[in-house]
Amino acid sequence: MNGRLLLAWLRTLLVQASWNYDRMVGVGAAYASEPMLRDLPGGVGGERYKKAMARAGQFFNAHPYMAGIAIGAVARAEHEGVPAESIRRLRHALIGPLGSLGDKLVWAGVLPAAAGIGLAVAATASPLAGALSFLVVYNVVHIAARGWALRAGWRSGTRVAQALTAGGIQRGLRLVGPIAAVSVGLAIPVLADWLAQDFSTRTRLSIGLVAGLGVVLSRWLVPTIGALRYGLIVAAFAIVVGWLW
Amino acid sequence: MTENLGWLLAWGTIVGLDLVSVSQVMIARPLVAGTVAGLIAGDPVAGGMVGAILELFALDILPVGASPYPDYGLGAVAAAVTVAGAPGALGIGLAVGVGLLVAYLGELGIREVRRRNTADVRRQRGALDAGDRRAMSAIQLRGLARDAVRAFTVTAAGLLLAAAASRWPPVTVRGAVLVTVVLIGAGIGAAAAGAMRLSGPGFGLRWFALGLVAGAAWVIVL
Repeated sequence: MNGRLLLAWLRTLLVQASWNYDRMVGVGAAYASEPMLRDLPGGVGGERYKKAMARAGQFFNAHPYMAGIAIGAVARAEHEGVPAESIRRLRHALIGPLGSLGDKLVWAGVLPAAAGIGLAVAATASPLAGALSFLVVYNVVHIAARGWALRAGWRSGTRVAQALTAGGIQRGLRLVGPIAAVSVGLAIPVLADWLAQDFSTRTRLSIGLVAGLGVVLSRWLVPTIGALRYGLIVAAFAIVVGWLW
Repeated sequence: MTENLGWLLAWGTIVGLDLVSVSQVMIARPLVAGTVAGLIAGDPVAGGMVGAILELFALDILPVGASPYPDYGLGAVAAAVTVAGAPGALGIGLAVGVGLLVAYLGELGIREVRRRNTADVRRQRGALDAGDRRAMSAIQLRGLARDAVRAFTVTAAGLLLAAAASRWPPVTVRGAVLVTVVLIGAGIGAAAAGAMRLSGPGFGLRWFALGLVAGAAWVIVL
């Protein structure tokens, strides 16, 4: 099974390749779990394999790094002959927790933490060193998380909830938020100093003024505006003013 | 740019695929995408600088659930090409502006790819419900191909925009400095607002404040 587990893990890297509004990552999850279902009784083309594949391809959504937990757990349940309705309920029950866990741990934790480190290194050493340090810090966690997720799911089957409440995960969730907040907080002044190095004090104050306006706008006045829209609007405004100036 | 066109298109396509479809090892983050594009275009420091500014914008958004998000990686590729060789602060603002526009085009492209994937899955519903593994593999492959086409097309459009902005800059010298100042400020504001949102009220916000103080001390002392 180890070879097939490895193949399934590699396929989890493509779990969002066919992301769609009907089944979200359902087809990607089925594609990833397929190697783990090949040795069901009857083999590929057998009735159990086809039914398991059909179930695996239904609606499913989760954080892409954590989807492996569900993929592994459902594959184990199929091997153990768990009734179809229980497998369907297991998949649906995992959608919320896996999404929430991945969002908190990765998108709101490891990603901003690594980005903050990368930006600080870029400003103080070189952009290349910054990019490399970001990639290393981020992917050490990323690759480990994906590997752990599939193995934990496959080991646990229908008892997968135990894996989600493991001490390491809970500790990680507690630590990663403050680390991300400190990392981004530290990077902002360091990066601002590097970016504004060629400007006079008055120009630096202007940068601070625009930054403050951005915070006020996107935090309190128009929280739905988003950074991209805000950036495009102020860029257009500056181009018009600069053109007339 | 023309001598490195093939490499830039290839890098942009890889970056675009990394955003959602393949692996998400985060070469699609603008700091990485911009630095490497700058390396290809001959100015890694300027590429890294515009990548870092776009990274600040990218820190505002969490790519959660079904939300389509700007493709800042492809924006960084176009921005790095725009800024390569431009003197100092003059090109940075314009390059970041091009980057933001391309990031928006990338977001529109993601929506279109998802619409087409949905239509594909609906067409193949019978085969999927019968557990046909070939149909599933084919859907995955077509999804990948669509995203590759999106990434390639947006990269090409970005390079065209970059060439046009470098050749016919829509601002005077003073205007270019103004755009740079405004976009650096907007990026810092976006990152700060994003970090405050992530930190949440109270305890988390104190950690963010601690980081800000540490960063300011670093700047003053070093």
